[in-house]
Amino acid sequence: MEYVILGNGIAGVCAAETIRQLDGGGGITMVADETFTPYSRPMISMVLAGQVASDQLPIRSSSFYEDLQITAVLGNRVSEIDVDQKRVMIHSGPALHFDKLLIATGADPRPIKAEGMNLKNIFFMRTEAHIRNMLAAIPQTKKALVLGGGLVGFKAAYGLLQRGLDVTMLITSDYPLSMQVDATAGRLILDELRDYGLKVRVGISVEAFDGNGSVTGAHLSDGTRTSCDLVVVGKGVLPALSFVPRDKIDIDLGILVNEQMETSTAGIFAAGDVAECVDISRKTRWVNAIWPEAATQGRIAGINMAGRQVSYKGSLSRNVLRILNLDVMTMGLVNPPETPEYEVICAGEPRRRTYRKLVFRKNILTGAVLINAIEQGGIFMGLIQNEIPLNVPNSVLSQPSFNVKQLMI
Amino acid sequence: MKQVVVHPERCVGCMQCMAACAVAHSQTKQMHTAIMEAPLPKPRVHVGVGLYGEGFPNRCRHCNPAPCMPACLSGAIFRDTETATVLINPDTCINCASCAMACPYGVIRFHEDWVAPPGKTIAAKCDNCDERRAKGLIPACVEVCKSGALTYEEMAAAMKKKTDEIARSVSAAAMEESHVPAGLALLAAAKKAQLATYDH
Repeated sequence: MEYVILGNGIAGVCAAETIRQLDGGGGITMVADETFTPYSRPMISMVLAGQVASDQLPIRSSSFYEDLQITAVLGNRVSEIDVDQKRVMIHSGPALHFDKLLIATGADPRPIKAEGMNLKNIFFMRTEAHIRNMLAAIPQTKKALVLGGGLVGFKAAYGLLQRGLDVTMLITSDYPLSMQVDATAGRLILDELRDYGLKVRVGISVEAFDGNGSVTGAHLSDGTRTSCDLVVVGKGVLPALSFVPRDKIDIDLGILVNEQMETSTAGIFAAGDVAECVDISRKTRWVNAIWPEAATQGRIAGINMAGRQVSYKGSLSRNVLRILNLDVMTMGLVNPPETPEYEVICAGEPRRRTYRKLVFRKNILTGAVLINAIEQGGIFMGLIQNEIPLNVPNSVLSQPSFNVKQLMI
Repeated sequence: MKQVVVHPERCVGCMQCMAACAVAHSQTKQMHTAIMEAPLPKPRVHVGVGLYGEGFPNRCRHCNPAPCMPACLSGAIFRDTETATVLINPDTCINCASCAMACPYGVIRFHEDWVAPPGKTIAAKCDNCDERRAKGLIPACVEVCKSGALTYEEMAAAMKKKTDEIARSVSAAAMEESHVPAGLALLAAAKKAQLATYDH
């Protein structure tokens, strides 16, 4: 059996490990753009902030490929998939034949429509190479602009502040992390950031950059201009699927997969940031481009590719942030429509600076926001993921004394 | 291999397990000096209160597969191949709480600890008292539990014991005399006499 895996992010890595565990003799080939040892992508923001050294990034040993008898084709991107002939064409190198194929090519930073994007010192923040380049540029810069208040923008702003730069964050929504949190938590986070010295401007975006070789300023949507000598663009990611033949493999924003992580073509699977499955809490197809999803989806795809059938109910968005003096954990559907189908319970202990927002669909938890005292948030994850009908009143989950025993009747 | 088995119905909420666990994970391993240590040693088992005021010793189940392992961003969570214990490396832990977000039981806590670099907050959870077991001791929580809520047994034997408990609770001998058919009453009497001769 010939397995070909496109991508060496955590989805591809977990799939490869799972396949090797179940199929000791099968041939596994991994094609990947990045040549760096498989590493923890979320940790790059900690390298930027100076919290960890870049040599702590690898999440597998440098002999990962040899140890699992994987043929690694690195520094290469996919140009085409010939579904009928079961071959993958890559940019430089011979075509690869497959019996089972996994597309785990991840997502690339979303470009923005602004003039001057090719000026020096305008960065995306997705790979360890981006961070290396940013760190090389920082000593010559003073004033940074961060575009986007999502997870990437947020972490970029925090990291640049740690490095001593003057940082302004420009976001189009009313508060940062608007995809993850509700207005209450969002305002709390905004206040915390501002207290720390971050300038945040809401409801604004960039139309153009100016500079002579390197960026020196940005022209904003309100008609003003602001000077800057370093820019980080954190405006989301787009699944990397330009090479996917749309007539054979169904795509939406991401590659559509079923509960076995298989695409519309038998034998071809997708997992991680490039894949789109059903979101358990939103009850619709969604791309949840987060690390734990990629790891789990890679493993599930691997099991199915190796011949054992396993179903994955669906993905779930979730995130935990420990910034400054604030811990924020979010999961599932946090901003439900205001229909009677949903019950929202909010609770908080101002003295302990804790806040809870729990969203229920009847007696099934479907979303949660926790600010501080986050240690037991995983219990909520289990309830949301498995759609457990509660046999205790919903309000029990919002009490400070809540623990797993209270669910055991 | 023996493992810690929890019998929730027997927990009285005394929290001696928490105290013993903290001492077992201290530097000096004695209560009267452990409470003077900085950082203060913390328990890895957590007695939570139920809806009726009852106690429950909540500890890591060392799941297989463990949800915390693929969730860990830095790869700090791993499994000991000999004991199957799920462990967290305090040097590579980055205190991101992704593990706590994945743990369906809420057993992970974050604090400074003498096993970690000074001043560093790390994720901490039950380590199956592997160090104690290597010295021939039993897990600290089991050693102090007086009510039998925490025991140390082979899982197969523990399950057989539970099966027998349930079987006995529905046997004829346990029913009220007036409800027992004559033939069964004879059988029960014979069994009772038989049991009296066994060495329990």
